[in-house]
Amino acid sequence: MKLFGTPLLDYLPALGLALFTAAFLATSYTYSAQARAFPAPVAWVTLALIALDLVSRTQTSAGEAIRRHLNPGAHTPEASHALDKHLAAALWLAVFAVALALIGVLCAVPLYMFASLRFQGRRAWFTSLWISAVATGALWLLFAVLLRLELYPGYFFGGA
Amino acid sequence: MLHLWLSGIGGLLQARELMFLTLGMAMGLFFGAIPGLGGATALALLTPLTYGLDPFTALALAGGVMGAVPMGGSITAILLNAPGSAPSAATCLDGHPLAQQGKAGLALGAAASANAIGGIIGTISVLAILPIAKELVLLFGPPELFLLAVLGLIVVATASRGKMLRGLIAGTFGLMISFIGYNDVTGALRFTAGIAYLWDGVHLVPALIGLFAVAEMINLSVKGGAITKDAKAVAITSMTSGLLETFRHWRTVVRGSLVGTIVGAIPGVGGTVASFLSYSLTVQASKNPESFGKGNIEGVIAPEAAINAKDCSCLIPTLAFGIPGGVEMAVFMGLLVLHGLQPGPLMLIDHQVEIYGLIWALTGSCVLASFLGLFLARPLSKLTLIDSEILVPTVMSVALVGSYAVDRNIGNVIVTAIFGILGYLMIRFDYPRLTMVVALVLGAAAERNFHQTSMMSDGNLSIYLHRNVCLVLLIGIVALLVAPLFRGLKRAPAAGLAL
Repeated sequence: MKLFGTPLLDYLPALGLALFTAAFLATSYTYSAQARAFPAPVAWVTLALIALDLVSRTQTSAGEAIRRHLNPGAHTPEASHALDKHLAAALWLAVFAVALALIGVLCAVPLYMFASLRFQGRRAWFTSLWISAVATGALWLLFAVLLRLELYPGYFFGGA
Repeated sequence: MLHLWLSGIGGLLQARELMFLTLGMAMGLFFGAIPGLGGATALALLTPLTYGLDPFTALALAGGVMGAVPMGGSITAILLNAPGSAPSAATCLDGHPLAQQGKAGLALGAAASANAIGGIIGTISVLAILPIAKELVLLFGPPELFLLAVLGLIVVATASRGKMLRGLIAGTFGLMISFIGYNDVTGALRFTAGIAYLWDGVHLVPALIGLFAVAEMINLSVKGGAITKDAKAVAITSMTSGLLETFRHWRTVVRGSLVGTIVGAIPGVGGTVASFLSYSLTVQASKNPESFGKGNIEGVIAPEAAINAKDCSCLIPTLAFGIPGGVEMAVFMGLLVLHGLQPGPLMLIDHQVEIYGLIWALTGSCVLASFLGLFLARPLSKLTLIDSEILVPTVMSVALVGSYAVDRNIGNVIVTAIFGILGYLMIRFDYPRLTMVVALVLGAAAERNFHQTSMMSDGNLSIYLHRNVCLVLLIGIVALLVAPLFRGLKRAPAAGLAL
């Protein structure tokens, strides 16, 4: 489905930014005049710029003019990879970050490394096991022994 | 004056001082290479350990650390797109594409020599500037510093390779993020959504680790394979060519060094702005600007020269006024105080030998660390051949644990993950990350200077028109904003003909 000659999906990044900025702007007006003196104008400017960005994505003469003057080098991403690949990559990261927070560095790192190597990289069980063990050992040596930093134990194991 | 320079060098050339300088240099390279650590962390960890040392030796150690951190940061920035410290993020822009093309050695060679030359030019500039430092720093009040921040953002946005509009959006988006937390002028707590971690704002280093290291790993994970596909290309890369490239582009080195020296002398602006500004100016000065971001060697040389030159000139506001030039300098001030050296105008009179010793230590470390970096470059280049299935989880682990290690706060890990995803979306949807980084760095200072200017003028904006430096900066801002319109008009007839 197209709007002004451009697929609707191509407007999504700018619309997402617009939503964030609108929420930011609305929140800024809950603060005192002095506290919002700088954030509010910045948000208004951002909204204006996003409006230009939205217009520049259309296949209209105005869109063409904005692209030529302000965005001649910008491109629309190609759908070179399936959506599930992007989501999977983001999900692995999110799960690892949450695991670090919940079960701590010394449990989360080997588990994440092993799972990533075995299930995402399709490495052999033994290879995945030793690489994750070596990597965790190296991290422990670097941070806990050499730098004397206390590694986060995890929320479930007494971490704050 | 000359006898002070010689006293500084003489003091440094003692066996004990040289040993501590070398130790500091090795630590600087190591800390600089690990994303999330950097010079500030190294100095923070070192400060209590220098307690038993005399001030001169402690300064030699600190100089060694500060001089070597940029080279360490460049190694991981080029090879893994994971800047060891924030200023090295600018090196990623062209250094990593070069590594992807199998020219990691070339990029590392250029980075090393630009680092060394930048450090030397920075030292010469500082030695020349130090006597007149007071007058220079006093030229910049809150209105000038505010306009300088705005100019910095626009300069970087206009250099975003034909994406000025998206560059500006990324910049203002970065500014909005920088407003999160406690505002030290108004005393208001803003945009924290009740999360205590955000009271201090979004921590810069975890955000940068996310925007660069993590985002790049997500990208690599989606694409698969290794950073460099061609093993032969890595093996035959000559670092000597990189060294020669730096001399071939001597204008870029001089420009970068001068930018670094000037920016470093302005309190609170810091190395990230110096490196990105130097990069942007090089893009603007280039006859082939579209080649930047795709592996242009000048894109490595420009920020590297600026970073090390900045390290020297950063000492000016720190030592002369007790105003730290950046986070690293703020930690360094702690070390000075620990050794009974109170930063301020009196320090320039009472401790001149120590100051010159520190400057030489910093310079020596810049040069020696660059040579050491060259020795390490060849084996480290092989890192780019590791398969993404192994590299991604390993770098992700180092990045997230490194992010936690910045100030031992688990909230940093979440910030890194969020910014990692944000950075990946920015890569995918073609929004430049460069302007966002500059906005994150400058946002708080820009707002503080904006409020201070308002207080100075009772809210009257005409203050910006009544100060000479402000006028120059305003003209620069307007010229940069208007220039693309003229360029577009020039392109229009040509496009019309083509159609």
